[in-house]
Amino acid sequence: MADKIKLFVNEVEVEVEAGKNLIDAIGAVGIEIPHLCYHPALGADGNCRMCLVGIKDGRPPLVPACKTRAMEGMKVLLDAEHIKKIQHDVMEFELINHPIDCPVCDQAGECKLQDYYMSYDQQGSRMTVPQVTKGKKLDFGSGVIHDQERCVVCGRCVRFCRQITKTGELGAINRSDDTRINIFPGRPLNNRYALNVVDLCPVGAMTSSDFRFKQRVWFLKKAPDICHGCAKGCNITIDHNRQKYEDDIIYRFRPLFNEQVNGYFMCDEGRLSYKQENNGRLTEARTSNNPRSINEILAASTKEIERAEKIVIALSPNCSLEQMVTVKALSDKLGATLTGYSEGYIKQGDGDDYLIQDDKSANRAGLHLLKIDNSLNTFENAMQEADLLLNFNNELTLSFEKRELSRLLNDTKVIAVTSHDTPLTAMADMAIPVASYSEYAGSVVNSDNILQSFGKAITKNIDLDDISIIAAKLGSPLQTPAERFAALQQIISALNEFEPDKIPAEGLNLNNSEAANVTA
Amino acid sequence: MEVKILSAKFDIKDSHRIEVAKEHGAYSTLDKVFSMTPAEVIEEVKNSGLRGRGGAGFPTGIKWSFLPKDTGKPVYLTVNSDESEPGTFKDRYILVKDPHMLIEGIIICSYAIGSHDTYIYIRGEYTTQVKALQAAIDEAYAANYLGDTVDGNDFKLNVTVHRGAGAYICGEETALLESIEGRKGQPRSKPPFPAVAGLYSCPTIINNVQTIASLPFILNNGADAYKAYGTEKSSGTHLFGISGHVTKPGMYELPLGLPLLEVIEKVAGGIWKGRKLKAIIPGGSSTPVLLPDEAKTATLDYESMAEHKTMFGSGGIVVLDETVDIVELAKNLLDFYHHESCGQCTPCREGLGWMLKIVKKILRGNGSMDDVDLLRELCDNIEMKTVCVLSAACTMPIRSYLDKFRHEFEAYVTTEDSPAAEEKQE
Repeated sequence: MADKIKLFVNEVEVEVEAGKNLIDAIGAVGIEIPHLCYHPALGADGNCRMCLVGIKDGRPPLVPACKTRAMEGMKVLLDAEHIKKIQHDVMEFELINHPIDCPVCDQAGECKLQDYYMSYDQQGSRMTVPQVTKGKKLDFGSGVIHDQERCVVCGRCVRFCRQITKTGELGAINRSDDTRINIFPGRPLNNRYALNVVDLCPVGAMTSSDFRFKQRVWFLKKAPDICHGCAKGCNITIDHNRQKYEDDIIYRFRPLFNEQVNGYFMCDEGRLSYKQENNGRLTEARTSNNPRSINEILAASTKEIERAEKIVIALSPNCSLEQMVTVKALSDKLGATLTGYSEGYIKQGDGDDYLIQDDKSANRAGLHLLKIDNSLNTFENAMQEADLLLNFNNELTLSFEKRELSRLLNDTKVIAVTSHDTPLTAMADMAIPVASYSEYAGSVVNSDNILQSFGKAITKNIDLDDISIIAAKLGSPLQTPAERFAALQQIISALNEFEPDKIPAEGLNLNNSEAANVTA
Repeated sequence: MEVKILSAKFDIKDSHRIEVAKEHGAYSTLDKVFSMTPAEVIEEVKNSGLRGRGGAGFPTGIKWSFLPKDTGKPVYLTVNSDESEPGTFKDRYILVKDPHMLIEGIIICSYAIGSHDTYIYIRGEYTTQVKALQAAIDEAYAANYLGDTVDGNDFKLNVTVHRGAGAYICGEETALLESIEGRKGQPRSKPPFPAVAGLYSCPTIINNVQTIASLPFILNNGADAYKAYGTEKSSGTHLFGISGHVTKPGMYELPLGLPLLEVIEKVAGGIWKGRKLKAIIPGGSSTPVLLPDEAKTATLDYESMAEHKTMFGSGGIVVLDETVDIVELAKNLLDFYHHESCGQCTPCREGLGWMLKIVKKILRGNGSMDDVDLLRELCDNIEMKTVCVLSAACTMPIRSYLDKFRHEFEAYVTTEDSPAAEEKQE
C-alpha cells in the first residue's frame, strides 16, 4: 500500500495517498476538483485553469491542483468564495466562444462543459459581441471528426499523439482565441490508436464518424467486458441499447481503465470489433444449410457422436476457460482427439510494442494452461482417420485455404458449434448457433498471463446458449458452472483463493503462480 | 542629468568594432575577473545592487545564487534580447552601438555562474541588430575572447544567437526557453524555476541585455562606484526610452531616482506643441498609467513606482498629451495583447479577445454602462489566473485606464455627440 498523508479540504481532514497531485489524491476519496486539460495518462499541462485551488497560508496561495503535489497538513480550499468565483469565471471564458449547440452535439450527456456548467456555473451569458468562428466538421482521418468551435484547447489530443503514439499528427496552431487544433496539411491522423482522442476529448470537439449521431449516450446501457480482438484482452465498456421492438445492439466499445492490462486506452481495430458482435451472426440451427430447431440438431448431433468411431474436437482460441474445460471433459469422455490448432488467428508482425498483439485470439494462453494440443500435425493426422469433426467455433478457414480444408475434411462429417455464419458453417453438415463473448460470462488469459473474467453484457432477443452449455448438452460431465469452476481450480491454483464470479476486476497475474504450467 | 556608463561608447564612431571598442576599454575587466573566484564575482554583483533590467527588477546577484550546486548538468546563460514591450527601445542600442560590452558582460556572468554555453535570444524583427551582434561575436571568437580558452584562460565559452520569429510572449523567460528548444513559444508553469530546470531541463540563468551589459562597469569600478548612482534600493543607471508627445523623444541614460516630471521637462524637452500633460505610462505598455498629479511625486526608481501603484518596468516612458483618447489607447493596447496571447490558458486566450470586442463596441457607440462595468470586472477575472503574467500585463494598464479615466469610457455610452457617435455617421 502507498503511504498515506493527512491534509485538509475545506477545513475537513482527509487521508489521501502520498505522492499524487491534488486532483488524483483528493479525487480518490470522492472530492472532485474540476479539470479539463489534466488526464492521468497524459500528465499535467495546466492550461485550462479550471483546477485552480486555494492553499491557506500557502505560497503562492492559488495553485493549479494538477501541478501541485498533495502534502501533509496542506489546507486546500475548494468551496471558498474566491475559488468558486474562479471556477465560474473560467467556465464563462470557456463558453463565450463555444457554440453551445448541445442539442445537435454528439457529446451531449457525457460532456465536461455541460457537467461543469451545472456544477460550477449556472449563469446566463454576458456575451454581447460576435463570437469567434472556426472550422467545423473537419475530417482528421482515422474516423475522427473535429469541431474547432467546440474545442477548449486543452491539448489532450495533441499530447496523446505526442506522448502515447509518438506520431505527432496533431498540433495547436495560431495564438490567442484563434488557437485551434489541426492536422498538418495533407497529413491526417495515421495511427492505430487514433480514436482514443475521441474519448480523451472532454467536450464535443472530437467525435467518431463511426458512432456520431447513431445514438444519444443517455440511452446507452453500459457493461464492462474484455475485448476479444487480440491476445491483449483490453478492458472495455460495452455501450449498448435495445430500442423498442428491436434487438439489443452494441453501439460502441470504449476502453476501460485497467492499469496492468491496457491503461486508459485500446486500439481502433479492437474498438471497432463491436460490429462483429452485431453482424454476421448465426442465429438458427441448420442441417445441410436448412434451418431446423436447435433441439432437433442437438439430438441429431448426439446420434452422430454416438455413431462415430473416431472423433476430432476442435476448439477456438477465443473460447473462455470455462468453455475449454467443459469441452475438454467432453473430449476425454468420448476418447476424441482435442485440438486447438488455430494458426490462422495469428497475424505475424501485426503487433506493436504497445497494445496490439500478433495473436488475434483472446485465450490462447488458456489452451496452453489446459494443455490442449495446438499442433498442425496432431490435427492433420487425426483428421485422416476421423469420421466426425466437432468444431467449437474454431474458424478453420483462417488457418487453411478453402481447397486445402475441403481435402482435409474429405468425407468427415462436420458439426459446427458456432457464433457466426462463416465459410466453415456453410461447409458443415450441421450447425448449432451459440452465444458470442458479449453474451456470456467467462474468463480468458491474456498474452501477459493475466487471467481476467467478464460478465454477460448483452441479452439478445434469441438468447443463445454458450459453448459450455452446448458441450454439456452433448454429454460433457461438467454440467454446472460450479463444476466447471472446480475443474479450473484443479488446473489453475491461483483460482483457489476465489469464489466463482469474485475474481478481482483488475485480473489475476498468473506469472508467479502458474508460470511452470505455461509452455508458450 | 544624463550620464554615460552604459552608453559611454555610443557616440564613438565604429564603436561596435572590436578594435575601436578595445581602444575605449572593452574586455579590460577580464584580467581582474579571472583573478577573482566566481563567488567573489557574484558577491561584487550582489553588493552593487544591480537589479534585472528586463522589467521585473529582481536582484541579479541573488538570482544567480539560486543555481543549485553540483547537479552534474551543464549550466546555461540565456540573454533575453527579445525587447518587444511596446514603448521600450534600449537594448537595441547596446546591440548595435556596443555589442562588445554585452559580450564582455556575458563572459563575466558565465565565469561567475560556471556556464560554458550562452544563448542570446534576439527578437526576430531586429535584423540590423542581429547582424551587428553576430559580427561582434565573430570578432570576439577571432580575438579569442570566446571559444575554448577565453582570453587565454582555462575557461571555455560558446555564444549562440537564436532569432525569434516575432512573438511578444517569447520575451517571457520560459516561453523563450521553449522557443530555443524548438517548440511553440508558450510559457511554462513555475515551479520549477529556470534556475533549477530551465533550458533543456538544465539550470539556467536568464538575464536581460542591459543587465548583462552593466557587469563590465561594476567589475571594473567596483560595486561602490555603481552604487554611487541611483538610490539605495535602485542603484546604478538605466537606459530610458522616452517616447510619445515630448519635444525630444529618444534614448537617454540616467541614474535611477530622478523626478519623473523633471526628466520629461529637462531631458525630453517637455510636452510638445505647448500642450498639457494628460498621463504617463512609466515603464512600457504593461505598466499602469500615472496621472499628472501622481507623476509630480514619482521618481524613476523601483520603490517610488511601487508606491504609486505602478511599476518601473523596462524604462520605456510613454508621455501622453491632452489630445489622447484613452478609450482608443485601451483598444490599441488590447489589440496588441490579444494578438500576442499565446493561447494556452483559458482566461487570457478567451478573455482578452472578449475585452477587445467590448472596447470596440464602446468605441462604435454601441456600448452600455454594463459594458464598461464588465470590462472592469474582466480585468479582475483574468489577472493572475494564468501560467504567466501576459494577461496581467494587459489587465493592469487597462484597469488603470478604467479607474482613472472612467469618464472617457462613459462619454462614449452616454453622450449623443460623443466621438463615437460621429464615427458612426461616417
